[in-house]
Amino acid sequence: MAIEIARPGKQSLIVSTPVMPAAGTVGFGDCYKALLDYGKLGAVVTNPVTVEPWRPASGTRIVPLGAGVLVHTGLPNPGLSKVIGQNRRTWAGMPIPVILHLVGTSAEKMRQAVELVDEVEEIVAVELGLGDDIEEAEAIDLVAEASRMEKPLLVRLPFYECHQLALPVAEAGADALVMTAAPRGTARDRHTGRLVSGRIYGPLIKPMILRLVGRLRREVSANLPIIASGGIHSPQDARDYMDAGAIAVQVDTATWAQPKMLERIARDLGGWIATRQKDAFPDEWNPDMGHTEAIRRRAPQ
Amino acid sequence: MKETQAYIERIKRVNRVCQRLELAVDKSLSAMLAGQAMLVRRIDKDYDSENWEPYLRELWFPVEILASNIVVVEHPARTHFLPGQLLSIIGPVGQPFRFRQKLRNILLIAYHTTPAALLLMLPPLLAKQVSITLVLMGSAREYETNHLPEEIEVMQAEDNLTWPDMVMTLGWADQVFALVGPGDELSYLNEVLQLMRERRSDIPANYVFGVLQRALPCGVGACHACMLKLRGSLKLPCIDGPAFDLTELQLN
Repeated sequence: MAIEIARPGKQSLIVSTPVMPAAGTVGFGDCYKALLDYGKLGAVVTNPVTVEPWRPASGTRIVPLGAGVLVHTGLPNPGLSKVIGQNRRTWAGMPIPVILHLVGTSAEKMRQAVELVDEVEEIVAVELGLGDDIEEAEAIDLVAEASRMEKPLLVRLPFYECHQLALPVAEAGADALVMTAAPRGTARDRHTGRLVSGRIYGPLIKPMILRLVGRLRREVSANLPIIASGGIHSPQDARDYMDAGAIAVQVDTATWAQPKMLERIARDLGGWIATRQKDAFPDEWNPDMGHTEAIRRRAPQ
Repeated sequence: MKETQAYIERIKRVNRVCQRLELAVDKSLSAMLAGQAMLVRRIDKDYDSENWEPYLRELWFPVEILASNIVVVEHPARTHFLPGQLLSIIGPVGQPFRFRQKLRNILLIAYHTTPAALLLMLPPLLAKQVSITLVLMGSAREYETNHLPEEIEVMQAEDNLTWPDMVMTLGWADQVFALVGPGDELSYLNEVLQLMRERRSDIPANYVFGVLQRALPCGVGACHACMLKLRGSLKLPCIDGPAFDLTELQLN
């Protein structure tokens, strides 16, 4: 299978299966190599990178929610040059395209980033993350600046402003839209009693983003690909997004909870799985499961 | 590190406040050393139906390794488990504790947490004739210790976090491991370090280690949510932890 997930006109961004991890979930390189078969994924999206180094957030960074989690990391990264230097060799050995997630801070910083990234052939495409509460004019400037590069430009829209920004960003040069960044929220850390703001992840955000994807698919040009991201925790979740008009999907924090779920979704949407043999043990069906059969035989009934 | 399945083979109530679970695990986990942990998720027998509550994997430290594939963990007695419960385990996570070569006396501190994460070191240290003192501070004082080996001296700290002969204990110990509960862990560690600085003229490198039990969303160094600031560097407890030299750790 070969799917082009960015608008034609620049270098191509072709994936073999329309499933990839979302930015911020699998690191800069191959952190999950012991737990995942990267070859079964469509692409890998790096953790967010800024031109200058960013330090981790202070205080609570994780607040467990009912069936989800609030995350506030501060997007720590050593800066674009170091990220490239430290990971270039790993990216070259990846069996799938590497998409670098750049945090959109200012047009000036974006100009510097474009110059650096365009020379790194191991990076196949760039995903530009627009900040929450960004003004439309600022978003257009950032996208226009980033789109000068020869690599395909995916633009990840903020959750609350995604509908308002989608068309202007597409006209400014986005080759695909990623919908969306996880919504922001506030929750109380039960250990410290303090309120913490961050992004909300979990199955519950999928219905909200699914609606946005369906609505926007009807409104934007058919040749502008939409990559859906948010709350995918099963192959069916991913298929729902595809049915709503997405060309590909990004799996976010489900990978932390159940790393093989990302691979299972990729296998499912990539056509690797056709039928399930009757009475198959889970480890025959899910190759990650290891010693399931032996353990089950010994387990009390 | 790999993802494997395990199940709860036996549950044993060891006293009023805690229970021990014997887990039948993959052989790779029976080689875990003190300091290393497992990221655990309870799963249904039908692997296809996922339950996402709780969402993140729990950090379980082994307290004992019985046979080639039996690992024992300790939990509060109020937590409900059933024999036969299937578990998905990612591990081993983290690095083993680093002990001094000529270790003779070790001080263990548990502050606002059960000392479970420190218990796997007890049998090998006792076998090497190391003297062990365990001090329970804050809410850790509710932990009952009658199931621990008799050779271990257990002390309860006062409300002001001091204990009898504290200066002597700190001078006696070749190494200190201070385990703190999740939450305000850095401020708990700061309190421990201040207590030591007030009672010991110098705190050499690799003398007092802070042991963290913070949430590790990914466990593989990908999410950076557990990242710590050390003097001149950033470290990930899921890769480099759980123990860090307290004199290196940026506690503010």
